[in-house]
Amino acid sequence: MGGRSANAKQHRRTMIREITNRLGLGFTTCLGLCLLAAPALRGGVANLRAYPEYLRVDPFGQIVLADRAAIGTQAAGAHQGQGRRSISLLGARGGYVSFHLVAELSGDEGYSLELRLAPENSGIQTDVYREWFHSIQNAKGYYPDALIPIQLPYSSRLPEPDNRISGQKAQAFWIDLWIPPSATPGLYHGRAVLNAGRNRATLPIELKVLPADVPERDVVTVDHNSYGSSWLGDQYPGLAEELPDFYSSDAFFHLIQAYHRIFYEHRGVFHQLGYGHAGKVGPEFAPALAGAGRNRHITNWDLYDRHYGPLFDGSAFAGTRRGARPIPFVYLPINPEWPASFVNWGEPGYEAEFVNVVSEMERHFREKQWTQTRFEMFFNHKKRYMGFPWDGDEVRFPKDIQYFVEYARLLKKALPPDTPVKFVFRADVSWDMEQQFRELQGMVKMWISSGGILSWYQGAARMLQERGDLVWYYSGPPGVNEASATISKFPFQAWLWSVDGFVHWLAVDPGQDPWFRLVDGTTTVVYPGDRFGREEPIPSIRLKIQRNCLQDLALLDSLRNRHPLEALKSEAAKRYNNSRLENWWNPRPPFADQPAFEWTNTGIGEATSRTSKMLESIRPDAWADVHAYVMQLISEAP
Amino acid sequence: MTFLCLLFVMSGLPRSAAQGVPPPAPDQPEQLDEVARVGSVMVDGDLCERIVTQRALTYMFEVDPRDRWAAGDNYDVDDAPFIEVKKTLLRHSHLVPFPADVNLWMPIKGRPDKIRIVIRNTHEMSQLWPWGALYQDMIPQMKTVLETGERITVTEKPGWISVLAPVSDSLGDVVGVLEVVTQTQSDAHANVK
Repeated sequence: MGGRSANAKQHRRTMIREITNRLGLGFTTCLGLCLLAAPALRGGVANLRAYPEYLRVDPFGQIVLADRAAIGTQAAGAHQGQGRRSISLLGARGGYVSFHLVAELSGDEGYSLELRLAPENSGIQTDVYREWFHSIQNAKGYYPDALIPIQLPYSSRLPEPDNRISGQKAQAFWIDLWIPPSATPGLYHGRAVLNAGRNRATLPIELKVLPADVPERDVVTVDHNSYGSSWLGDQYPGLAEELPDFYSSDAFFHLIQAYHRIFYEHRGVFHQLGYGHAGKVGPEFAPALAGAGRNRHITNWDLYDRHYGPLFDGSAFAGTRRGARPIPFVYLPINPEWPASFVNWGEPGYEAEFVNVVSEMERHFREKQWTQTRFEMFFNHKKRYMGFPWDGDEVRFPKDIQYFVEYARLLKKALPPDTPVKFVFRADVSWDMEQQFRELQGMVKMWISSGGILSWYQGAARMLQERGDLVWYYSGPPGVNEASATISKFPFQAWLWSVDGFVHWLAVDPGQDPWFRLVDGTTTVVYPGDRFGREEPIPSIRLKIQRNCLQDLALLDSLRNRHPLEALKSEAAKRYNNSRLENWWNPRPPFADQPAFEWTNTGIGEATSRTSKMLESIRPDAWADVHAYVMQLISEAP
Repeated sequence: MTFLCLLFVMSGLPRSAAQGVPPPAPDQPEQLDEVARVGSVMVDGDLCERIVTQRALTYMFEVDPRDRWAAGDNYDVDDAPFIEVKKTLLRHSHLVPFPADVNLWMPIKGRPDKIRIVIRNTHEMSQLWPWGALYQDMIPQMKTVLETGERITVTEKPGWISVLAPVSDSLGDVVGVLEVVTQTQSDAHANVK
C-alpha cells in the first residue's frame, strides 16, 4: 500500500509539473493553479488518455515495467508524456487499428465510458475490451492481458469489482477499429467521453483511412496448437457440469469452433491434437471403428462430422469479418495405434486396417467436398512416454526414420493418386532435421522445425519449398510480463527467413488461476470467457499485437512488386532492432557433422546464442517502428 | 489371497461409492486377475530386459543443470523386443470384454528404491504412473510382487483396479511387473495429450 500511495503522490506531482511546464508559468502561478486544482483532485478527477498499443498501463496509471524501455526509463510515473489527450491513427482497409484508452479516476467511484468514431454507413466498427489486470507469479505489479469484450456505453466503478485491486486508479480499454475493405479512404473524426460524477473528460480521435488494402491472405501462417479437449471441461466448468454429456453436446462443438473462430479472426489458425502418446484417441477426433484385420472399417462418423463438418466447409466462420472459409489445416487421428492396431504392426493385417480406414476417410472427405483443408498425418509420440518404440516427434535417433518411410508407403497405398483431398505427411523435426529433409524427400511435405536448429540451415527453407514442401518453425508465446512487442518476433522472423509459418506449441492453457495468479502466460494467448458468462474464448493483448503485426507483414510483403523483397526485409530488420538480415541466422556448428544423438541441449544453446541473445530483449516499440515504415510505404503513391 | 480380498473390500468399494465413482462390475477384479495370471506365464522376462537401452539407463539418473531434458532426450529402446513384448501385452488386454491395459514395469539395477514403466498401451490407463515420469519411487505393492512373485490387487485410487503380477526370466528371477488395469468409469478424454 505504501508503494501505491507513493505512486499516487508522484503522479500528482508530475501532473502539476506538466501543467507548469506547458504553460511556462512561474512558481506563483503554479501555486495558484495547484490551489485551484486541489478541490478537483480531492473531489474527483476524470482523465482519458490514449496510449499506443505497445504501451500497457497498470491499474495505477503507470506504464508496466516491461514497456518502460520504450520511453527510455524504468522509473514509474515517467509515462505522463506518453498518454495522449487526443489520438491520430492511420490504417489500411481490411485491417484493424488499435490503441489503449485509459480512464483515470481518483478512485472508488462510478464512471461511464462512451466512444463514437465514424458514421455507421462508413462501415468502420469499434470493438472495445476491458483489460484485465493480472497478478503474475514471480513478477512485480500487475499486467493487463485478457481482454473482456464490452458494450458501449460502459458503466462501472473503480476499483473494478471483479478485478479486485485495492487502490485501483486507472482502467485500461483496448480499442480495435475495424476498417472494412469497403471503407472510403479519408479522415474520420470521433471522440471518447468519460463521465464520473460531475467530472467529464473527452478525448478526440482521428482516423485516416488509406486507400491501401491489407491482403486477405497472410504471408506467414501463425498456428496456435493445443492437445486434446479435456481442457475445455476444465476451463468451462459451468458448461461441463450443466451438461452430463458435455463432450458430445452441441455446446462442446460450438466451443471448439469458437476457438477456431477467435484465431481465424486474429489472422491465425488453430490445431487440436486428438490422440495421446500411447495412441488413445479422443472420440470426437476420429470416426468410430469396428472389426479387425481385413474387416476393420468405419462404423460411425457422427461425432467427427459434428466436430469438423462446419470447420471443413467453412460454415463455422459465417458472420466473421474475414468471411466463411474452410480451415486450412487439421490433424488426422492417425498414430501407430489408429486406425491400425499396433498388435498387427509389421504384418499384413496392419496394412489392411490402415488402408481400409484411410481409404474410407478419403472417400468421405471427397464426397463431402472437403478439399480445401490439408489433412495432416502427424506423429506426435515420443519414446519417453513408453507407448511406442520410435519417436514420431523430434527424431533424435536415425533408426526411427524407417517408420516414417513405412507410413509414407501406407498412406500412398490408401489414397487414389488423383484424389482432390489434400492429405499431407507432416513431421515435427529438430535434432535430425537435416537427415530427415534428405531421406524423407517426396514423403514428408510439411515440416515443423525447431527454430533454433533451423537457424543453422539458411538454405533449407528454400530447398524444401522448391520441392513443394511447407516449412514452419515453432516456439511458444512470450510471457505477459515481457515487453509488449515480444510476440512480434516470431512472425517477423518467419517472414525474414521466408518460411511459411510459425507455431505456438501451446496457446490455450492459461493455468489454474489466470485471473488472480497467472503463472506468466507462456502457454496461452487466449482466456476462457466462462468467468464473464461467455461460452467462448476471449482474446489477449498479445494476440491483438500479433494480429496487427501479421497485417503489417502482409502489407509489407505485398509491396515486393514495387521494392525488392530483400530491401524491404533489410529496412524492416533495421527498424525493428537495428539488425541486419544475416544477424537472424546462426552458423552451422561443427558438431552438426556428428550424429544428432551425440548433440546436447547445452551445445545447441551455445550454437544458437547469437540469435537468442539478439532476440532476448525486444524493445516494446520495436514493431511500432516497422509499422511506421509500412504506413509510410503504403501512403506513397503507387 | 485373503489379504488381497480384504484390501479390495476395505479400500476399494466403500471409497469409490462414497466419491460417486461406480463400483466395478462384480467379476471385473477376477477377470483382471486371470489376465495377470496368464500374463505372468506368457510374458518373456529375458525379452523385457532387452528393451531399454544401456544409454537410456545411463542418462536416466544423470542430472545436468544446463540440460534438464538430457534424460528424456536420451531415452531409447531396442525396437524388436519392445514390439514383441508390446504385442503380447496388447493381446492379453483383449482377453477381457471391457477396456483394459496391460502395462510393463521394471526395476532398475542398482536402484532398489526406484521403479519405471517400460510399456504403456492403448487406453493409456495406469493407476500408478505419474504422467511423464521416466522412473519413480518404488511402489510398495510392486516391491512385494518383485520379492514374493505373488499377484496383488491395488484399488487405492477410487474407480481404479490394477492387478500386479510378476514377470520372470529364464533363470526364474522376477524381473518385471505387469499392471493389468481398468477404470470403473473410463474417461475418454484423459491423457489425450
